[in-house]
Amino acid sequence: MAQITLVEAVNLALARAMAEDPDVVVLGEDVGKDGGVFRATLGLLDKFGPERVIDTPLAENLIAGMAIGMAAEGLRPVCEIQFSGFAYTTLDQMLNHAGRMRHRTQGRLSCPMVLRTPCGAGIHPPEHHSESPDAMFAHIPGIRVVYPSSPKRAYGLLLAAIRDPDPVVFLEPTRLYRLFKEDVIDNGEALALDACFTLREGTDVTLVTWGAMVYETLQVADELGEQGIVAEVIDVATLKPLDFDTILASVARTGRCVVVTEAPRHCSIASEIAATLAERGLLTLLAPVQRVTAPDVVVPLARLEQHYLPGKQQILAAARKTLEFA
Amino acid sequence: MTVAARFEILYSQFLDAHGKVVAPLPAFAADTAALIPLYQAMVLMRTYDAKAIALQRTGQIGTYASILGKEAVEAGVGAAMQKDDVLLCTYRENGVQIMRGVTMRELLVYWGGDERGSNYSAARRDFPVCITIASQCLHAVGVAYAIKLRRQPRAAVCMLGDGASSKGDFYESINAAGTWRLPVVFVLTNNQWAISVPRKTQSAAQTLAQKALAAGFEGVQVDGNDVVAVHHAMREALVKARSGGGPALIEAVTYRLADHTTADDASRYRAPEELAEAWKRDPVLRLRNYLSEAGVWNRALEEELLRQSAEQVQAAAQAYLDTPPPPAGQMFDHLYATLPAAFAVQRAAVTAAAGEST
Amino acid sequence: MKIFKLPDLGEGLQEAEIVKWHVKAGDDVAVDQPLVSVETAKAIVDIPAPYAGRIVKLYGTERDVAHVGAPLIAFEGGDETDTGTVVGKVEVGQSVIAEAPAGATPLAHGIKAMPAVRALARKLNIDLTMVTPTGADGLITANDVQRAARILAELGPQELLRGVRKVMAQSMTLAHAEVACATLMDDADIDAWPEGASVMLRLIRALVAACRAEPSLNAWYDSQAVGRRLLKNVDLGIAVDTPDGLLVPVLRNVERRAPEELKTALARLIQDTRNRKVPPEDLRANTITLSNYGSIAGRYASPIVLPPTVAIVGAGRIGKEVVVVDDQPAVHRILPLSLTFDHRAVTGGEAGRFLAAMMADLQRPD
Repeated sequence: MAQITLVEAVNLALARAMAEDPDVVVLGEDVGKDGGVFRATLGLLDKFGPERVIDTPLAENLIAGMAIGMAAEGLRPVCEIQFSGFAYTTLDQMLNHAGRMRHRTQGRLSCPMVLRTPCGAGIHPPEHHSESPDAMFAHIPGIRVVYPSSPKRAYGLLLAAIRDPDPVVFLEPTRLYRLFKEDVIDNGEALALDACFTLREGTDVTLVTWGAMVYETLQVADELGEQGIVAEVIDVATLKPLDFDTILASVARTGRCVVVTEAPRHCSIASEIAATLAERGLLTLLAPVQRVTAPDVVVPLARLEQHYLPGKQQILAAARKTLEFA
Repeated sequence: MTVAARFEILYSQFLDAHGKVVAPLPAFAADTAALIPLYQAMVLMRTYDAKAIALQRTGQIGTYASILGKEAVEAGVGAAMQKDDVLLCTYRENGVQIMRGVTMRELLVYWGGDERGSNYSAARRDFPVCITIASQCLHAVGVAYAIKLRRQPRAAVCMLGDGASSKGDFYESINAAGTWRLPVVFVLTNNQWAISVPRKTQSAAQTLAQKALAAGFEGVQVDGNDVVAVHHAMREALVKARSGGGPALIEAVTYRLADHTTADDASRYRAPEELAEAWKRDPVLRLRNYLSEAGVWNRALEEELLRQSAEQVQAAAQAYLDTPPPPAGQMFDHLYATLPAAFAVQRAAVTAAAGEST
Repeated sequence: MKIFKLPDLGEGLQEAEIVKWHVKAGDDVAVDQPLVSVETAKAIVDIPAPYAGRIVKLYGTERDVAHVGAPLIAFEGGDETDTGTVVGKVEVGQSVIAEAPAGATPLAHGIKAMPAVRALARKLNIDLTMVTPTGADGLITANDVQRAARILAELGPQELLRGVRKVMAQSMTLAHAEVACATLMDDADIDAWPEGASVMLRLIRALVAACRAEPSLNAWYDSQAVGRRLLKNVDLGIAVDTPDGLLVPVLRNVERRAPEELKTALARLIQDTRNRKVPPEDLRANTITLSNYGSIAGRYASPIVLPPTVAIVGAGRIGKEVVVVDDQPAVHRILPLSLTFDHRAVTGGEAGRFLAAMMADLQRPD
């Protein structure tokens, strides 16, 4: 057991998976000698050698595309796309091929690959390093999209993703990479995919979120608690397939829901959750569903970042709005 | 200034357009009769191709991409591959696929718009037809990497066209294949046309084969209408690849005698004179002439072959026509290893609306 | 240009040698005209022209090999139909659309309540139109619904109308919504009546006289067709108060029945009505109605005209009043009359004349 950060938990899970299964390989830019620009693959080259920890040429289509070829031959590739902004080129391979390979061949070939990439804003980087591609990937048929929010969940969900027989896009919240530590036992135990995690139980309002925003949302739940409002906090974790049942059951109890995402508003996954609540949980709602999102703009450079990202004030205001709705 | 690098691209041809030997034949062709299986394969695939076009014209299959004119490339490649090699090809390599054991019925089921056609009963590791241009090159790199990692005496064969050689995916693939010395042979069928864009507009490079040099490995050109040249180059490249010698690029120069697809009309953009000229270089006729001159082929054998090919193709077509259409629920089959519960609800709605039982 | 390719020569033959051209560039050819002789492995074959046209160009010279499917001759002429795609089939339609503007949709003004609150109201059996909203912007809250439920609970359960009362509620609602009522009132001086005169029989006789004088009040009006039927028979609906509620049985053909017969029929009808023995066919299709509410209380009224009839006569309480006779006060017995009519079908003049005729008959001594 060790107190480790989220990125260290990713590293731990990768080492574990590679030790257990010789078919697991890691590939990406700077993942070998440099250990990954965020050190997610630190030490793997020394442990497992250059044939399994592959420094690729600078070519994202190649990284995603060759992972598909590897997976068809029975390897379990975990490829890293260095930054979220560069992940968009992989949409071609993920949508046109990875998500389709099993269905296209009616099960003859399959694609057990993982594509990891650090996402989300808040580390004041240059342009293109703060993207939230959640909804774009989640729209792809035939894949899973997983977005952990803590070291424990990063460890357990990454192991689950690597072991899953289908393609998984594993989005990592850059801002949380080193923000806090948690006790993580390196026992090789995977967490459940396709399931929400209820982090706090509550009766008055349901706060639904994922990724880095879980951090602020838990703080908001604390503040509401001090005012006598008991908030339920749900970490969606697997964005596709999404566990709507847990969210619906929670809102059936609380009657109020706030969905928080740092992605832009239009066609966000928050919209999907709100629509499902309207479709299947309308009669349990005491107030309209609130979405707390970033605005529909290009992610601004660092100077405006704090005005762009949703913060605690917005989440609080949204929660209060549902409560004031009589 | 000194010369940092020089290059030359070799071009090989053994049989000219009339079927005359113009260079010392490679060993496998020393016994002329050994070429007969190649000829038979070429005739069969041409017969299949004509049938596929006829089926499209009568509304029995959807859009189809003809292989007319490139039979020598197909047969030369198909005959050189071993069973456990892996083929990653485009939509215009049905001939190679037939030689790999994919049935003509399966191909027609695919062109008829049913995914079951890609669940090949043989050649189980071959990739399905790739519609997007050059993506299969990236997949071939992954396949070759896995082969190399496991130290297997196998190779990946990636087939692509002249248009594909302009794509980023192609450049990324050959670059990776070269840097890692992967067991992959890229067979670039240069049929002079990417839909309506002629070869000279596609690239300023003097040959497409020389692109391999930018990736650090050998590229050769062959007369794609000479099955001996194609087959020879393939055998050499595969031996090298399987023994750790790294990748190769073979540019097979040929001509697309048909339209791009059955929906295209090439007369919109190319002159009939050019097409008529290209017919004079027909790979099937050339080989027949050579075999006949060598005394190992004659009219009786030709008629028998045509009869047999027609029979096989007809049987496959009938088997396709007799294949019942897929149930609506098939769109959910194999979407994931296990269909998640949320999608089971959608599946039930689709099958109910289609009047099927789940 | 149209390119004619060497057609299938049959028997799987793939090519043939050009022996002799029979045409040259510039020639006009007819359908089936021999274009060229070719020699196959089997025979010399003539290839006929597939269509009429002018030759632009020949592909190949004599002794050249022509291939099946390769260009043979170019004809002058129209282009092939362009599919306009390289994949699939893009359907071509001939219709031309002209979209009309969408038109303004009226603003919706309705009851504002969250679905959960609506469901609560349904569960508690509260009509949301009865609930006063206290939420922002006219929103009915769950508390509002609960409050309304408490109030109504204290009032006790409501009686749901059934049977005759329910029918009355429904038919009066319809009538009220549809009919354009107007009412005339006057008094009939019945002081000259003999002792023991039957009020009902005199009323019926007077009504019949009035129908003869002004037939337009004995009619049926159809609001859909905007038409009316003047009816020959007077089927008189009589308003009868019963313990179950208001019933209107019908005396048929009162215009041709003798007074004695009417008397008996009326008595029997009223008794049967009170005993609920009147068959359904005698409770419908009256042509005009009489309500003798005066037998209980009330002088003047504006009773409800039930479609399709167009008139209802109301007879008020008979009483002694001071009237003017020959410029002198006198105490006479007065019968107040009210006539309510459907102004869609009956004019004020017609109603007036009807009433005057009734009064004239009622004011006769016998």
